Amino acid sequence: MGVSSLSRDNSLVRLFKWIYAGFDRTIFMGLKFTIPTKFVSPLGFLGMLTFVVFIILGITGAFLMLWYEPILDRAWDSVEKINDTIPYGFHMRNIHYHASNAMVMLAILHMYYQFFSGRYKIRNEMLWVTGVLLGVLTILEAFTGYDIIFSERAELAISIAASLTNSIPILGPDMMNAFFGSGFHDFVLRFYAFHVFFLPIVLLGLMVVHFPRFLVFDVPMVMAVAGAIMLTGGVFPIDLGLKFDPNVPPGITVPEWYLTGLYAFLRSAFDKFTTGVAWPGLFIFTLLIMPFIDKYKKFSWKDRPIISALGITSIAQIIVTTYWGFYIDPDRTKSLLERLMIDPIFLYTVMVLLVPLSFGFTYLMIKIAKNAEANAKKQKPSEKNPIQLPAKWLYILFVALIGFQVYLNIAAYYAVLDGMKNYSLFLIGILMLVFAGMFHLYRYGRGLSKSNVEIVTTNKRKFIFPSIGGSKRKSLEDRSTSMDPSKIGPTEDNPLLSSTEKKDIPVPEIGTHKGGKSSPMYSKDTSPTDTRNADIDLPENSVSKTKINKQSQTSNLDQNVRSFPYDKLNDGQKRDDAFVETTRDGDKSTPVR
Amino acid sequence: MSQRQPPKVDGGKISRRDFLKLLAAAGTVMTFTPFVEWGKFLPNPRESNEERSKVVLPDGSQANVNTFKVNHAEAVVYPLSEDPVLNEEAFRTWQFIRLPPELGGEKNDATAFRMYSMVCLHLWCLWKYWPEDGRKRGECPCHGSMYDPLTGEAFAGPASLQAPPSNVLPSLDLEVDDEGNIWIKPPNWSPSGNGVVGYGRFLA
Ligand code: HEM
Ligand code: FES
Repeated sequence: MGVSSLSRDNSLVRLFKWIYAGFDRTIFMGLKFTIPTKFVSPLGFLGMLTFVVFIILGITGAFLMLWYEPILDRAWDSVEKINDTIPYGFHMRNIHYHASNAMVMLAILHMYYQFFSGRYKIRNEMLWVTGVLLGVLTILEAFTGYDIIFSERAELAISIAASLTNSIPILGPDMMNAFFGSGFHDFVLRFYAFHVFFLPIVLLGLMVVHFPRFLVFDVPMVMAVAGAIMLTGGVFPIDLGLKFDPNVPPGITVPEWYLTGLYAFLRSAFDKFTTGVAWPGLFIFTLLIMPFIDKYKKFSWKDRPIISALGITSIAQIIVTTYWGFYIDPDRTKSLLERLMIDPIFLYTVMVLLVPLSFGFTYLMIKIAKNAEANAKKQKPSEKNPIQLPAKWLYILFVALIGFQVYLNIAAYYAVLDGMKNYSLFLIGILMLVFAGMFHLYRYGRGLSKSNVEIVTTNKRKFIFPSIGGSKRKSLEDRSTSMDPSKIGPTEDNPLLSSTEKKDIPVPEIGTHKGGKSSPMYSKDTSPTDTRNADIDLPENSVSKTKINKQSQTSNLDQNVRSFPYDKLNDGQKRDDAFVETTRDGDKSTPVR
Repeated sequence: MSQRQPPKVDGGKISRRDFLKLLAAAGTVMTFTPFVEWGKFLPNPRESNEERSKVVLPDGSQANVNTFKVNHAEAVVYPLSEDPVLNEEAFRTWQFIRLPPELGGEKNDATAFRMYSMVCLHLWCLWKYWPEDGRKRGECPCHGSMYDPLTGEAFAGPASLQAPPSNVLPSLDLEVDDEGNIWIKPPNWSPSGNGVVGYGRFLA
């Protein structure tokens, strides 16, 4: 398999490497995983975090399946049993519940980040469209999840969903019959099937299409998210609600936060189809076609005022309607209907008024941002000195953290013994966060110890990813051979420079392996005709190849190129990113070695 | 996006290739046609009994015109199942009402009674009949839809704003035998018949 045993690897490491090399023949070859060696803004890999939370949900959900019974009169009781009597059932359930919220939240943030950074332009329409579908399905997945508890609130949610489905012209009633069956007994069973199988399978399938080939897996951030989920579960444990009893009228309940926006519309008692199906449908449709109506040549939100204003407007509308959906007139003397009704004229007036406000606000923001940019250009970028932690302190801190972990372990264990389940969940959450910090410390220390190999400078914005991907980079250069790298004046913001020098980037390495370039395993090159990365090219409409050639003569790049979001290149190119970061920070001539 | 050539229709002749494509398409359609019908796997149609069935009150007895109080209502399960779980199904709960005197509730025949699905047509809460003076109507606890006990039509609240058939409750036809026992006639679960639970009924 091309793995020659190096004397310094023990047999376990060799086994791992052998397995790793085996992936050469599998579909995973196309994927490139990178583990950043320095802190990177999580905005760029929110999608990965969403995926990680999805996996957490899959695992905890599978365990919940061992006890949950999707039967009309037992569903709620089985959840109660999980929550109250099954050992660690409380933990599982709370992680599952809070992770579902986190997943929806992360997916939304991820979408908006993609939106404002304009990443969908770089031939990423496919990722965007599948992303919108993923977002919708994610909400459906969460929705079916909280319905199968079959509490009062769940029952209300199901009936709302079913009557909305029913309200769809022509197909509605048949669709309702098909998806919901007839009656609550069918609903619970079917929603369960959707929740644990149909939707996750479709989600996974879409993810295969959605994932770019270059993915960032940032261990500290992943652990921090996991820790935050547990911590929230410890502080705000989810209740069971009241068991649904068809003969007891349910009290006022409000759906989960990601649906209250919709709920506000429903409460305006306007036509069900318009408010509950057509409006959200229109919103989703607008999102879907966004990359096709965004004709700006540039990427940054500052250069796309109308699109950015649209984005801000949508956020404002979401916030207002979400809040409105939650709000229920506390005056108990009024009738229920009065308390719940939202005057449609009022609601729609506010929504319409929000539009010019949001546009104005966005305009202002863009003005300010541009000014700030201009000012920043005038001043010399100040060299930031990151905190330098001497090795000795690093070790002390490490030991202290491990000690703290021991303490947390014991405390969490005793908390369970004492029946303080939420406290133990809280502590385990902290444990995760401590691990996140430790890992960060570890990679920091590792960076210090081999600074001249991997870490380029002390500027904290610079980072290199030791990629676990198998092959050397292919670069743009292969395709635009007329370009002479030497002619390119290294400029800030010059992506071309990075493209041409990619081959200088050290061959990836992992874990215990210390050799950098020389490992036979990693230098095993894929065939020279390999073009896997060759399409990591610039967006067609903004930077054509001919343009590249022209521009390469002069370092004076066209604005389009300048505004190109290097660090957001779809195809991941995280290592490029690292490189670009380097050049961008004004460290002009240091090639990455 | 590759630009597609418009199909060549030179003089109405189709090329051999296009003809082949047509055949292949037709074959594919034919192959998968039967599966459209398989969609019937999904819905769970309500069983329709061919025979009349008893109105079974919560205490287990059959409702009788001689004993059931005027201006009074009970929740009745229909169709009653052997399976206690299914009997808890909201979609099987019906409000069995004896009308107040002013609406003819004192007569000793089937016209004094009504039986409506308890599933509110708005968002499926379970409404019920309130016999108090000044109310004497069905009221939904969720968003306040109100139902006319005489016809089952919503006259206030969100359900009343819905287009027919979603503003009238499904209802069951009743008959009374010689001993005064009340029976439910075999229903026709369609909007123009007895209605669809959770969806509605056209007023005849
Ligand atoms: C189920 C939820 C989702 C998952 C698991 C997911 C996962 C991912 C992952 C792992 C990436 C790689 C880059 C990164 O880590 O950020 C990515 C990229 C992307 N996602 Fe998502 N995503 C989800 C939802 C969405 C939604 C709702 C949208 C927007 C409509 C979206 C649009 C995009 C776009 C445009 C990219 C390309 C970014 C780039 O490569 O630079 N995704 N997604
Ligand atoms: S569910 Fe009955 S009024 Fe809304």
